[in-house]
Amino acid sequence: MAVAVTMARMKIAVLRHSLTGQHGGMVIAGGSLGAVLATGTIFLAFLDGDWLTAAYAVWMLGWIIGPVFSGGGDESLRPEFFAMLGLPAHRLAVGLLASAFVGVAPAVSLLALSGLVVAGARQGVLGALVAVPAMVLQLAAFVLLSRVAVAVLGMALRSRVGAVGAAVVNGAILAFLGQGWVFAVALGQGSGIPEFVRYLPSGWGLLAVRGDYLALVALAVLVGLLLAAWAALLARRAGTTRPSTRGRRPMRARSAQDAVMAKELRAWTRDLVRTHQLTFALAYGLFFASAPLVLGWPGMLPWAGPIFIVMAAAMTANQYGDEGTALWLTVMTPGVSDVRGRQLAWLVAVAPVALVVTVALTAVNGGPWPIICAVTLALLGGGAGLVPLMSVYGLVPGIDPARRGGNPLRTSEDDGSLTGLAYLMLVLVAATAAPAAVVAWMFGWLGVPVGALTGALCYWGLGLLAGRRLTAQGPELLHMMRTGRRPETKSTFQALDMPKGAQTVTYLCWGLAMIPLFPQGIVASVFLVNGMYEHSWFLATYMAPGLRWPTAVGMIVIGLALLGTGWGLMRRYRQKEVTA
Amino acid sequence: MKIDGLSKTFGEKKAVDEVSLTVPQGSFYGLVGQNGAGKTTALSMAVGLLRPDRGSAQIFGIDVWADAARAKQLVGVLPDAMAMPERLTGREVLTYLGLLRGLSPQVVAERAAELLAVLELDTAEKTLVIEYSTGMRKKIGLATALLHAPRLLVLDEPFEAVDPVSAATIKGILRGFVSGGGSIVLSSHVMALVEQLCDHVGVIDAGRVAAAGPLAEVRGAGSLEDRFVELVGSGSATAKGLSWL
Repeated sequence: MAVAVTMARMKIAVLRHSLTGQHGGMVIAGGSLGAVLATGTIFLAFLDGDWLTAAYAVWMLGWIIGPVFSGGGDESLRPEFFAMLGLPAHRLAVGLLASAFVGVAPAVSLLALSGLVVAGARQGVLGALVAVPAMVLQLAAFVLLSRVAVAVLGMALRSRVGAVGAAVVNGAILAFLGQGWVFAVALGQGSGIPEFVRYLPSGWGLLAVRGDYLALVALAVLVGLLLAAWAALLARRAGTTRPSTRGRRPMRARSAQDAVMAKELRAWTRDLVRTHQLTFALAYGLFFASAPLVLGWPGMLPWAGPIFIVMAAAMTANQYGDEGTALWLTVMTPGVSDVRGRQLAWLVAVAPVALVVTVALTAVNGGPWPIICAVTLALLGGGAGLVPLMSVYGLVPGIDPARRGGNPLRTSEDDGSLTGLAYLMLVLVAATAAPAAVVAWMFGWLGVPVGALTGALCYWGLGLLAGRRLTAQGPELLHMMRTGRRPETKSTFQALDMPKGAQTVTYLCWGLAMIPLFPQGIVASVFLVNGMYEHSWFLATYMAPGLRWPTAVGMIVIGLALLGTGWGLMRRYRQKEVTA
Repeated sequence: MKIDGLSKTFGEKKAVDEVSLTVPQGSFYGLVGQNGAGKTTALSMAVGLLRPDRGSAQIFGIDVWADAARAKQLVGVLPDAMAMPERLTGREVLTYLGLLRGLSPQVVAERAAELLAVLELDTAEKTLVIEYSTGMRKKIGLATALLHAPRLLVLDEPFEAVDPVSAATIKGILRGFVSGGGSIVLSSHVMALVEQLCDHVGVIDAGRVAAAGPLAEVRGAGSLEDRFVELVGSGSATAKGLSWL
């Protein structure tokens, strides 16, 4: 017990420090958002039916996916720190588990789980009493599921097969979340919640509260099993990556730019984190575009390639940051275009796969060739231009690869900014295809040369800007990488000077705003105006005649509200900066 | 190398405060100081890795910050604890950097082979840098510093974590470099090492130069260690003991 108490107290100390300064903003913003969601969940406990069960399923999914997607979750106390203490694995696991309960996310989840007490009280006194242990066990199950998921993924990322497998699973889960309504429509036009949700581990607490006491026992057993699994995984994690013994092909580059490209291509093939990034992007694109097949609509298939390109750019947008202080070599060899070599290598890594997927799936769907070709070309150039540009302008300091802990997903101490950068990239890269898409939409094949032109311009121009910035600000970027902090000189990129929390919320808002606003809102309205009610990717086309317009308009409102929230936050901090 | 009035403030802390040093051509210059005294910061500013708040740095008369491209060709740097292109093997790192430095592929291949052999890194031909030990990382770092035949070497803690046999090899290489007309600046905590290798020494304490000049002048009659403790003034270093041992 002493170990558990000590670790919990260490975590409290870490948390107390994190509440001061810039980081505090993030904790508070995240906590407030979580509290709102938790309150909403409690409200569901007053309703009949399976709404609460469904909400807890979403909370569980959040616990599992959140850390996996944002780079390993909370790692303020790492198993490596205690490696020399000689603790038995299960005591270490119990200690770390105790510390894992200290934090904003567990507190918020506990609040949400107090809906169990409400649900129990509606059954009677006994129900309310059962709800208390059910709450605690349910939270323990969430926290442990999250830890085990991260540990399994970390283990998987030590081998190529594992990295690819983990990426495919992650891509599939995230794509299906993004296309959730497709499945909702498929499962009975969005009304009922499928029965199996009730029997997921997230629903066991509620089952117990409603009188099925065996579920409480099952929950306790699950917690025990997960704890054992986690302890076993922790014991294996202590070792570092095994040395590679594969044959190496000699480097045949003859010029400086070829050398940069050769180095980058080796990084693409040898670094499992990068393998994971690219495979994830591909899996996401394929699953996202094929999800509407569930409704019998293949029209999205050709978009798998473009989605892959956009996602690949978003995942790899922190290239310089991911390499840590290796930037010093670039700073010491001025006059070499590091950026151009990276751009070429990025294209070599992404373009062939993207083109094959795009051509194959467009052929399967039988078109529309002009717009797909135009957008693909524009996105390839846009991505190759924006990746280096964003990675120098929005650089998120990374941990030097040699110093990363046992969790290979964790490439930076600053997950919030990394996520923000990824969202921003999604929007920006997609925007580079807008001119080509519009021209192709209106004039057909004319869009293809436009796409090629804007792609080439982005590649050339944005690469040039990135190179200039790297030359001018190289030492500052390197300093940021060494200290993990931004330098005191004013950045030209104002949005990123906001406190981390506000920044994350802003990017989240912007990222989430895009799907309701553009496709589900504006494009759907265009469809409705033209009387195109055929079922396609747009929710409005699936609604009853009277609900089509309200759906499209509602989507636009949601999108605008999210954009407005992000914008308002940014303005608030700009003004504060002026007055400060 | 000549640095003049270099200053750098991080937040409230003055890391380097008006540091001026002149490293005569052909000298072997040792920079000593306690942990956190500002050695790494000063050297980073001197070679163009960290922009100073004030002051200037010149390498063979070329301003490091005004004409970075020319100045950086003349210097080889081994920074302390910086990442490398981690997914390359030692030979690939050298090939890559040689080409970046504008050397011809043939020259790069010859020099890389020689450096790897002399530094005994050629036995780990298939090992990626990320799998290197701390000592091996120092050695590959030194190899990158020497690769383009610079006239000045700036080495931050080059002997840290290097085994004695390799250290002897490296000392041999460095002595040869100086006798061939090159200049070296190295930082270290190890006074004996500086006394053994260097002919000039600078003592940095709390971001300022406490003493600088030819070794014999700075050292005076006693050992460099005694003189150093006297200069940085923590006083009774030997008197402090641990109560439970």
